[in-house]
Amino acid sequence: MSGCEGGSCSTCSTCGSDDPDRLPPGMLAAYNLNQSTADGILVWVETVQGPDGPEVAAVSAELLGAARKLSDGRVFAVVFGGLEVKPLYPQLFGYGVDTLYHVRGKGMETYRPEPYADCMASLVRRIEPATILMGATSRGRELAPRLAAVLGTGLTADCTGLTADRRRMVMTRPAFGGNLTADIECSKFPQMATVRQGTFPRPPVEEGVGTAIYWQYEPDCESGILSDEKVAESSEDIRDARILISLGDGIRDRSLIDVAESVASKVGGMVSCSRSLVERGWMPRSRQVGMSGRNVAPELYIAFGISGAVQHRTGMSGAKRVIAVNSDPDAPIHGFADLSLIADAGDVLREMDRALSKKG
Amino acid sequence: MRYVVAVKQVPDTMEMSVDENGSLVRAGVPSVLNPYDEYALVKIRGIMDDGDELVVFTMGPPQAEAALRRCLQLGADRAYLLTDPAFAGADVWATARVLTAFIGKFEPGASLYIFGRQAIDGDTGQVPYEVAGLMGVRQFAYVDSLESDDDGILAVQDYGDMVRRVRVPEGSVVSFGSVDPNGVFPSIQDRLDAESKEIVRLDRVALGLGLYSVGLKGSLTRIVSTRTVTSARRNRKVEIRDPAKGAGFIIDELEALR
Repeated sequence: MSGCEGGSCSTCSTCGSDDPDRLPPGMLAAYNLNQSTADGILVWVETVQGPDGPEVAAVSAELLGAARKLSDGRVFAVVFGGLEVKPLYPQLFGYGVDTLYHVRGKGMETYRPEPYADCMASLVRRIEPATILMGATSRGRELAPRLAAVLGTGLTADCTGLTADRRRMVMTRPAFGGNLTADIECSKFPQMATVRQGTFPRPPVEEGVGTAIYWQYEPDCESGILSDEKVAESSEDIRDARILISLGDGIRDRSLIDVAESVASKVGGMVSCSRSLVERGWMPRSRQVGMSGRNVAPELYIAFGISGAVQHRTGMSGAKRVIAVNSDPDAPIHGFADLSLIADAGDVLREMDRALSKKG
Repeated sequence: MRYVVAVKQVPDTMEMSVDENGSLVRAGVPSVLNPYDEYALVKIRGIMDDGDELVVFTMGPPQAEAALRRCLQLGADRAYLLTDPAFAGADVWATARVLTAFIGKFEPGASLYIFGRQAIDGDTGQVPYEVAGLMGVRQFAYVDSLESDDDGILAVQDYGDMVRRVRVPEGSVVSFGSVDPNGVFPSIQDRLDAESKEIVRLDRVALGLGLYSVGLKGSLTRIVSTRTVTSARRNRKVEIRDPAKGAGFIIDELEALR
């Protein structure tokens, strides 16, 4: 194909123009070339730094497992990083990846939304996936919209469910304004979604083979990064907790957080919270349950002083048992609890701490 | 230096209803300036020097003028209201298209384009990065603080597990990561000053956008159905006055779990 640049002419279709609008209209109609040939699912594999090098983020593993089940077509994965990512290959193929694109290049080891999005766009034009999935992590929620804008396609953020009808995806996400979930479709390919951790089960690693392809990419802009500092996050994650003592807006006294921590340590649980405590600066965002925080699924969720706005309920809907303590008998949380106590949250917390201390 | 801040008017309450298309019904619900945007506005004012200019804009119904008025009270110099019946029902893409068209046509070449982390009614926080992608400029998410020195602007980004210090080039999109729960209160003088400031209204034609590029028609995603989430919980409501007794109830539940 010497001298022929893809999409630059409209004389033939042999060079695989990625823009069907450039083909003569008659040709479009005659051969139905307007029909996208997109197929398969592309998953962005996010890596997190573990003690022995990079690890596959839990949500990415879940998405690969889901992609295998949702698609009759191929499962593509893209991972960024240097040689240290190579030990992850068997695991990724074990999740059912057919083709793994390993992006290497100077300046591509560190996460940056702009070159990552541009690079993924170049990949998407090559492999034409029907669907692109990412975890709804802090990075995924920033990268996905950038990529969607570059590709000019639709994006459904923060999904809590995905179903497939052949190539077409129906994305489910909580909608505001009541106890609603909305099913959303994207009107063109590739369809894009970010998905919350915990939406799909973590797949087992099976024996699997696939193709790994190095994808060279050079970012075209300076990063300007002066420093990246790891934040010593407590190794405990509220998503792993069996029991959650969760605090909300009704907690008016800051010392109650220590009381709650004390109770949690005695019963083997963790303290989580609703958005208002994060906004007050009393709790870190990593402890927040809800749409802008984390989805949790503990055995027992005890909500102290949480009113139960839909944004919060979405995050706690996976809990097996819910106890709500709120002095307002009309608080919506009471409708979503197995047991609700109409009492002051702070008083009950203090009493629990006292009673548990006595038991020692 | 000129800073352009995108804001949104949001319903004050979580009690909202949805129409048959799954779109929000805003009528009859009191509205406020999205607290995340307010925080961003106050933050950016903090790094401004004398002679710098602060411009705000929003896409919304004509009533969204109230949110802009509040921005003017908080120190914005000029305001634009992008309003057109055709803008209704926009998804992230259609919203980003309108905002980007506005920036390109009316406020190009600003020092920074500022957004709040997310709107409290939608909670997705995708618009800033789609705008950055469409504009083809750098994007800085979850910004905790901005400072300017001789070489330009420095940002501290908080990704949750990592804090990044980075130099922000001119013309970038910056999205602040936090919110001030207490809000701010403009002085009476600021309120009076705001009355004389102008709000420019722009519609679809003024932005040079086609009917099929905006609103519901210009959206790339659509809601096909909504379902009510039914709670399958066996609810037992106990009204307890004595906290000790309530604590006992919960401890019993905890014991049962072991």
